[in-house]
Amino acid sequence: MSVKTLEVIRKRLNERPDELRKARAHGQKVVGWTGYNIPEEIIHALGFIPIRIAIGGDDRLVEVGGRYASSKNCVFIREIVGAFAENEDPFIQQTDVLAFDATCLQNFRAAEVIEYYFKRDVVVLGVPRNFYWEEGQEYFVNEANEFTRLLEERAGAKLDGAKLAESVALYNDIRKTLKSIYHFQAAKDNVISWEEVFDLIQAGDLLDKKEYLTLLQETLAELQELQPEPVIEADGADGRIFISGSLIPRGDRKLISIISAVGGRIVGDDLWTGILPHLDLDIKEISAAGVALGYLNRTPHAALPYLDLESDRRLKKLHELLAESKAQGVIYHTLRYCDPFTFKAKETKDILNQSDIPVLEIHTEYAGSDYEAMRTRVEAFVEMIKIKAESAAEVAA
Amino acid sequence: MAKTDLYEYPAELREEFEATEDIHFRDGSRATAAEVWHFMTEVAPKRYPFAYTQKKYAGNRLSRDIHLPSAIKNHYLLLTMNDRINKSRENGSPVIFVQGGQSVDPYYAAGGIALRPASVGLWARGRHEGLGLNEEAVRSHNQKEKAYHAISFEACQTAGYENIQEGGLPIDMVAPFTCLRCSDISYGVEAHRHGPNKAVKLMNIDYPMRHQADKPWAVEYFAQNLRRLTSEIGKKAGREVTDDDLSREIKLHNEGRRLAIDTAELWWSADLPPTNGVDRRALYQMGGMEIHGDPSASLTVLRESNAYIRERVKNGIKAEGVVDKPIRLFVCGSCVFPNDFRIEEAGAIIVGQDNHWSDISTLVEEEGDPYQNLAHAILSYPYEQSIEKRAEWTIEQLRKSRADGVLFLYQWGCNTQSAIARMLCDTIKRDSGIPTMIIEQHEGGSEQSEQLLNRVNAFIEML
Repeated sequence: MSVKTLEVIRKRLNERPDELRKARAHGQKVVGWTGYNIPEEIIHALGFIPIRIAIGGDDRLVEVGGRYASSKNCVFIREIVGAFAENEDPFIQQTDVLAFDATCLQNFRAAEVIEYYFKRDVVVLGVPRNFYWEEGQEYFVNEANEFTRLLEERAGAKLDGAKLAESVALYNDIRKTLKSIYHFQAAKDNVISWEEVFDLIQAGDLLDKKEYLTLLQETLAELQELQPEPVIEADGADGRIFISGSLIPRGDRKLISIISAVGGRIVGDDLWTGILPHLDLDIKEISAAGVALGYLNRTPHAALPYLDLESDRRLKKLHELLAESKAQGVIYHTLRYCDPFTFKAKETKDILNQSDIPVLEIHTEYAGSDYEAMRTRVEAFVEMIKIKAESAAEVAA
Repeated sequence: MAKTDLYEYPAELREEFEATEDIHFRDGSRATAAEVWHFMTEVAPKRYPFAYTQKKYAGNRLSRDIHLPSAIKNHYLLLTMNDRINKSRENGSPVIFVQGGQSVDPYYAAGGIALRPASVGLWARGRHEGLGLNEEAVRSHNQKEKAYHAISFEACQTAGYENIQEGGLPIDMVAPFTCLRCSDISYGVEAHRHGPNKAVKLMNIDYPMRHQADKPWAVEYFAQNLRRLTSEIGKKAGREVTDDDLSREIKLHNEGRRLAIDTAELWWSADLPPTNGVDRRALYQMGGMEIHGDPSASLTVLRESNAYIRERVKNGIKAEGVVDKPIRLFVCGSCVFPNDFRIEEAGAIIVGQDNHWSDISTLVEEEGDPYQNLAHAILSYPYEQSIEKRAEWTIEQLRKSRADGVLFLYQWGCNTQSAIARMLCDTIKRDSGIPTMIIEQHEGGSEQSEQLLNRVNAFIEML
């Protein structure tokens, strides 16, 4: 069985760079954004075409980026810098303005490097580390207003409340539909895989938002027809894996393909290029500040330090998603020099082990040299959790 | 380590040294020069033999510029760190782990003691007596390894985890300025939440980024962070912190900063270097008033030293071990620096370093709301500005210090400084024509690798 709309989406993605080129020829501007708290609805409502700059998996670009930044920056950031250096990515080529946030300080540094060496117009949104303080939220509101003002200058128009309300409604519908679709991939006898849903989520980074919503709704309708009552249920033979940790952007499918190749089945994630940023985003007020706070008050990104382990919403969300997906083990993915996640690897392992959830940390970069080593470790892990699940099933029987 | 292996201060120096000034401490006590001499010649060689090593390249060995009293007094204050901090703590002063490259006025205003990573390391080191150079190196590496294990092997800055969580060091708070020069620090603070020491209070003093000093809301936010900080320290110290407390502390610390600026300008103006690189760095850092865990002590030593430097410059006295016309290097980058002894042997001298100098050379307005003034000054640190602004300030320092070349050095794992190394160096070269070199330091330790030093020496030869 295959979901036909997914084919349409792949085709539309291929056509998208040309479409962007034409839109720009007609005076529209493209804002390329990267970060974790960029309120995309503001960009959209100002009449820009927002696209997310999230690419990975190319060690050559990592090398190029390292020449401008350094070999001590995370491979994702280095690849982005490298992509701007070469300017051959069909989406990056179409960007007029860049919007970066300072959630991760390496992202902030990438903005500076790209601005300096490649003379790109960059707008930066400051993000508070003490995001849970009232003062931190107030600072972020001011930053969001400044971010909006800088974008308004570039748009040549003021942010219109009615247009913002339309954008918020559109994005809310997208998030709601994605969440419904996501449920299907984890179901027993699933008709759509996690990998397909992951690609589908990332397609939204680049496609026109209205069209994207339509395509999502068509996908959901197809799924509902193919599997009217999806039930998420663990199966001993599944090898149900949950992926957590550093982001996995388009272009980077190394770990994902290994898990699948060794017989594991991914059933959930809390990646920032996956479902997580689409969850729990509650915009309470139609204004730049209201949208920004909606973003900041989601499950926080690991780059924002939180000092009390017991009340950490990121860990709570991880547990919640693990329970929902009935995952049997977690692969904690850390990218080379990705401090937000590598600093928490041992802590995460310790916490999940307390709940008897097996964890495998995979620390990697975009080079292929560690492929076989990763494969061996993942294969052993998948085998281990399958045996563990089967033993548990036998005991229960 | 046999006694004969240890360096000894010449006995004939005693009379000259004992005629120098006392060190005044914050609690009103003082150490006379005679007491300092006794400690440095009789007590410390037994308790801390590593500092008395005869190995000429050991970075943490005693300065041989024995006629500069501040050199001996600085070592005295460093070697008594454990005794003094324990005593202050017993007397009710909470100890707070902070970041390097930041001012410490608010911590002291609230009755605390602020110690940056190197000082926390010194305190921890002081608890292990009788160790020779190699034994001490093994101990500190073993300790650091514990932090790597608990956090990440890619960590550069571990926020003292190895000492506070794994070493039993009684730090009361971990509360550094975050986002300031180091990306690891806030994650390092967060890492303490899973350590065994639940008594330590954790707090991030959030440093906003991007044109922060020009944004009133960023200044306000940072001022609010500072208010929370002094309030929390005040709770630990059992006192209410007033605006006047902070104003007084700012004035005191401004005195240190002004003295350091004056000392640096004197030093830079001299035809012959009046001190070696190690002592120069210590003198500048005393102006930051953090280095000894006691601002009053740092201030008295710096005041006395300033007069000595003035005299040396006036009389054309050159520091021992420095060549007549050394190549003058300015160091940029993260919190590391090349081995001064090797640099000087190669015919050069380090004349300045941007990271601490950035905060030490930033004076705080004394009239008006002290929190706003302090916040504005801190957010104006040149080191934390855009590349163009930072380069402009660095070039000004290069001009003042008459530097011949710039070494940009960063520690392995330092994401934020490494990321801008090339940008800063390219801008400096473009706008000043001064040659630059970027080097990554792969490991800690006091002697540094041959590979690193070969590169530095080649750069010196080229200059």
